Amino acid sequence: MFEKILIANRGEIAVRIIRACREMGIRTVAVYSEVDRTALHVQQADEAVAIGPPPASESYLSTDRIIQAARATGAQAIHPGYGFLAENDDFARLCEKENLVFIGPNSTALCLVGDKIRARQTMEKAGIPITPGMKSIPSNLAESVEAAGALGYPVIVKASAGGGGKGMRIVAEEKDLKPALEAGMREAKAAFGDESVYLEKYLEEPRHVEIQVLADNYGNTVHLFERECSIQRRHQKIIEETPSPALDPDLRNRMGEAAKRAVRAAGYNNAGTVEFLLDKDKNFYFLEVNARLQVEHPVTELVTGLDLVRQQILIASGEKLAFGQEDLRQSGHAIECRIYAEDPAKGFLPSAGRITFLREPSGPGVRVDSGVYAGWDVPIYYDPILAKLIVWGETRDTACRRMARALDDYVILGIPSGLSFLKDAINHPEFRAGRTTTAFIPKYFRDWKKTEKEKEDQGRLALTVAAFDEIRKTTGPDGSPARSSRRERPSPWRSLGRWRIGGQSHHGV
Amino acid sequence: MEFEFLIGGSDRKVLVEPKEKTFLFHEGADTWEADIRFVSENAVSLLVGSRTYTAYISRDRDSMIVHLNGADYVVAKRDEQAGGSSAREDKELAGKVRIKAPMPGKVIKVAVAEGDEVRKNQTLAIVEAMKMENEIKSPGEAVVTKIFVAPGALVDSENPLLELEVKAHHSGT
Repeated sequence: MFEKILIANRGEIAVRIIRACREMGIRTVAVYSEVDRTALHVQQADEAVAIGPPPASESYLSTDRIIQAARATGAQAIHPGYGFLAENDDFARLCEKENLVFIGPNSTALCLVGDKIRARQTMEKAGIPITPGMKSIPSNLAESVEAAGALGYPVIVKASAGGGGKGMRIVAEEKDLKPALEAGMREAKAAFGDESVYLEKYLEEPRHVEIQVLADNYGNTVHLFERECSIQRRHQKIIEETPSPALDPDLRNRMGEAAKRAVRAAGYNNAGTVEFLLDKDKNFYFLEVNARLQVEHPVTELVTGLDLVRQQILIASGEKLAFGQEDLRQSGHAIECRIYAEDPAKGFLPSAGRITFLREPSGPGVRVDSGVYAGWDVPIYYDPILAKLIVWGETRDTACRRMARALDDYVILGIPSGLSFLKDAINHPEFRAGRTTTAFIPKYFRDWKKTEKEKEDQGRLALTVAAFDEIRKTTGPDGSPARSSRRERPSPWRSLGRWRIGGQSHHGV
Repeated sequence: MEFEFLIGGSDRKVLVEPKEKTFLFHEGADTWEADIRFVSENAVSLLVGSRTYTAYISRDRDSMIVHLNGADYVVAKRDEQAGGSSAREDKELAGKVRIKAPMPGKVIKVAVAEGDEVRKNQTLAIVEAMKMENEIKSPGEAVVTKIFVAPGALVDSENPLLELEVKAHHSGT
């Protein structure tokens, strides 16, 4: 087993991985950019190494600096988390060359599945159904126009190196194709360092169902059932659950077996996810392999009882899977809500800034995987995910109620978060009925605004609190009006002033 | 003690009267009594009758957010509000509009040049924040009078990206 692991990531996933390492008695090395010196993952690791300026391309994507940090600290393995270098086969190869274990699939399989086009070709050969689309990267616009015409609009622009919705654009008609390709290429270049994009037919209102797979280095492969991830905005999942309301045991088994076949065809090892689209008639199509730990992995952990990060580390260190397919069961129901620094009332616009107050929910069946704390300045440079709230319940209904309760208990002030939006989504009759498709948010939440129940009454309470806060400035901390004025003290919030709250120095033009 | 606040856009005037361990609040003809304590720097426990509430407070320079039962109330002290954002917005309606980024980020592209005529919803610039591209669109038919930023610039949500002279409605076309 490894004695020390470097985590080449930041935020909630770095914290999540550090937790697993600590439980396994493995020491941890965090890496951080200049704006992340006081980030939570740096606080929680045993060691931390600075790897450069804020832009990811100069820090979290800098393979040389990360390898150097691993060498300097004597780490034996690197866990890439998700995003950044997680699916970069050059990096995996570099690790192999440097005698560092990359905690993920081998570089050959990573290269194959990371190239969306080659992955589609491989799966088609292995007899797994794929969505209609281009089978090579177009070399010019004319080729794309022709392919789009043949597929029939709407089509979707996808980054060949892609994932997480980056680089994706839906195109409804030909005149929008060129700008969509350009924007997709820019975004793909920024996110993955590779601007290749291609077109697929855009299936309307499908479900997004994925299968979690574990494969050790000896050919043993199991699937850990499905995750339903249909609730998306900007092609990025925000609510995930398992089991999927759309699957019955037979379909689950067929999709699980197809996923195992897919990873075997790719010569894949470690943890991975095979994504499928499921149409109205319950036909499933291979979408892609996510060759990493997924953001939504905790829902699988809650229903299977397995720690996926621990399993990844065990597999990477050369251990055999300690269980077979027949040992695995889905128990109860789990739901995850992703908490992003974004405003659902403004088209999910992301927003950086300081978290002035944070209160996380707890209680039976409630888990929070967070990368932030009160006082933390959420930087503008990275993905706006703050935390994930995951609940488990005996049934889907119990899990929904538990999620609504936990969202009620969750308070994040200072920056927008989707908490009230998520609660409305969870409580929506269509969600409660399990009728979740990728069209759910555009269909029911297009012009969503926060509902302000008991508005009058609450406005009065806000007034009460505001007046009391003013009174307290001239009295004791418990607000007792009889106290003398010697207890008067300036509010630290006032003396901090604007320069801390909105005036980050890196905003200078 | 009397206080005046702007809460979610409306003026609220309240008179507060200490009463042993509680306070009496008067607003217009309404009167209510609250037992109210700070439980931490940012959390207030209220008892109104037997009903209990917890409010969370986030303070900014000239305003604060009071969070109650999932709703956020922006509260500003009335005297500090004079000459604030509403006055600025009035000025903006008079033809010249300064377009700001909706959030801090990096300018990826400036899609127009000074002197350009632009349509409503035409893309003026693209600002990237947190790996997402956001298109900044024209609020109406206008002429670009000034550009303050160049691609690569880091911007916040307070300084303008560019300035437009918005045409009066129903003129020309």
